[in-house]
Amino acid sequence: MKLRWPRPDQFVSLCGGAGGGELNIVKRYRCLRRSLLLVMLLLTMAPLSLVAVLSFHQYQDLTRHEAVNNIHWHAESARRSLEVFLDRLKDALVVLTNTNSLPELVASERLERLFADLKSKHQGLVDLSVIDPSGIQVAYAGPYNLQGKNYQETLWYNKALTRKVFVSEVFFGFRNVPHFVVAVTKKEADGYWVLRASIDTETLDHFLSSISTEMVEDIFLVDQDGHLQTSSRHYGRVHDTFPLAAGRRGKKDVSVVEKTAYGKELLQAAGAVQGTPWMLVLEQKSIAQRSSWLSFRNQLLVIFVVTAVAAVLVVVRISSAIANRVREADETREKMLTETEHTNKLASLGRLAAGVAHEINNPLAIINEKAGLMKDLLGMGGDFSHREKFLQQLAGLEDAVKRARVITHRLLGFARRMETTKEKVQVNEVLGEVMGFLDKEAMYRDIRIHLDLQPDLPVVESDQGQMQQIFLNIINNAIDAIGKNGNIDITSRQVSPRAVLVEISDDGPGIPEALIHNIFEPFFTTKKDSEKPGTGLGLAITYGLVKKLGGEISVASAVGEGTTFSISFPLKG
Amino acid sequence: MATIPVLIIDDEQDFAVTLAERLRLRDFEARSVGSADEAMALMQGGWRPAVAIVDLRMPGLDGIETLSLIKQHDPTIEVILLTGHGSTTAGIEGMSKGLFDYLMKPVDIGELIGKIELAAGKGP
Repeated sequence: MKLRWPRPDQFVSLCGGAGGGELNIVKRYRCLRRSLLLVMLLLTMAPLSLVAVLSFHQYQDLTRHEAVNNIHWHAESARRSLEVFLDRLKDALVVLTNTNSLPELVASERLERLFADLKSKHQGLVDLSVIDPSGIQVAYAGPYNLQGKNYQETLWYNKALTRKVFVSEVFFGFRNVPHFVVAVTKKEADGYWVLRASIDTETLDHFLSSISTEMVEDIFLVDQDGHLQTSSRHYGRVHDTFPLAAGRRGKKDVSVVEKTAYGKELLQAAGAVQGTPWMLVLEQKSIAQRSSWLSFRNQLLVIFVVTAVAAVLVVVRISSAIANRVREADETREKMLTETEHTNKLASLGRLAAGVAHEINNPLAIINEKAGLMKDLLGMGGDFSHREKFLQQLAGLEDAVKRARVITHRLLGFARRMETTKEKVQVNEVLGEVMGFLDKEAMYRDIRIHLDLQPDLPVVESDQGQMQQIFLNIINNAIDAIGKNGNIDITSRQVSPRAVLVEISDDGPGIPEALIHNIFEPFFTTKKDSEKPGTGLGLAITYGLVKKLGGEISVASAVGEGTTFSISFPLKG
Repeated sequence: MATIPVLIIDDEQDFAVTLAERLRLRDFEARSVGSADEAMALMQGGWRPAVAIVDLRMPGLDGIETLSLIKQHDPTIEVILLTGHGSTTAGIEGMSKGLFDYLMKPVDIGELIGKIELAAGKGP
């Protein structure tokens, strides 16, 4: 299926299409704004979120990888240090067994000296002793009284006899203090004798803690059976059990796993310490607890939120602007359509009016002539009863014909396609001429006309006769609106490099808001019931004339305050 | 003073006859016909009007065509066009063909008489 992105006008269709009442239109543009908002939010937030999520995971993977490498290296390093520490001791003991015979070592003075020398070079050394082939400790240098002890039945001794150099698990022994031994076995004619050095676990603890960092949660040694060989911060003391997975026991290479223990997410590294029965276990905080990760996560969150908020604000502004533009474009189009419709209506009405006027004028002419003839005949004949009454009736008939003629002439005036002649017109002069027609009427009605005309008003290219008719219609309307005693203000001025504006204001009763939109409609009149009823064509004709001259006409009115007509004419018609 | 002969040509017979009668009452020698053909027959019969009042819209030959016919027959006869339509274009076209003036129906008898007298060269 082919997906197509909707065009802006299709959004309008999605929102109910064109038409409908004012409420529907408001809803439609709200819906358009909402649709645009959703689409644009999707377009901006989707990639933003994607980038944020990808960055989150990328950095998480990177940090995890770095953490795993770090703990691996750390464990490896600790293990090597421990191996080096033990290897040095082992080597020293091997050298001693090679350079000293059993009888020489048994001489207590010699062992004491060797012990002192060894202790100065090997940290944590507790004692040094010699066990003869029968398992009896024949020489001892150290703080405990272990001379003469028989080790024949001890586990470490029996294990030591099976190899040349041996490192034991941590045990308590005769001294009842946790320690381990490094033993070197030497073969003599009558059997194996053993040179043994013991080191307490405090030394191991101290050694391990010295290589610990702030990242390290715990570091300790554990034997193959899972018994702690050093004290652990979280798993207990020496010989407590530590739950190391069976699959990891004795593995030479350092392995790293993620696990949750004592309520924390951890990385755990474990690897066998070569030449010992131990495994080194190192636990560090997982990346979730690392400050660098937390800092990155918080920064990412802040950046995402700030960017998202900014994007939302921008999207809201843009979608509103687009919706407003669409609305303005629609309104302009609507206005143009209404104007075209209005013009077409006027044209149709014009044709209709012309037809009606023509058809009415002929019978009207007959009535006129017949009435005239009757009047002529009555004038010629002698007196007879009711003569005066007949004459009155005929005068009434003639008046009615005259009124009908005025109407048909106005209809024709409305319909007539006057050819507009372009000439240089001085608007102020036209206004002056019009005032010449209306001065007496205004005076009779006690209406004061104030002129405020821009003296250097530029000439306009227009039709003087039509302009005259426009002013005449509007000022006449103003006089009719005031009735008696009032004011009319007429101003002219240049409002732009391309147009002049004439404003005609009266302080008459004003036009109610409900009617103001209809006043340019043909046959709309507010003077139906007045003494001098209107045809409803005056302002429609005026509107048509202003448009024909390329101008604009608008009206502003407030009931009780008056009405202002504003007419603009282009300088070049 | 000699009476002015006036010919009224209008398909609205009622109008033409009544107007002719009114003019006669005012000492004009007025006659009325219903079409251009009848008018031509009357003139070819020897009667010569000084002024012809012609309706613009008539079946058959219209007012402008009748004007042309009259001017062909006798260019000295002045023609006043009467119309119910009041088209400036018709007036301008008529003027170019020798039309004296045009008036809109219904016409005021005083105004019409003024135009007739002006056309016949007896006006003010």
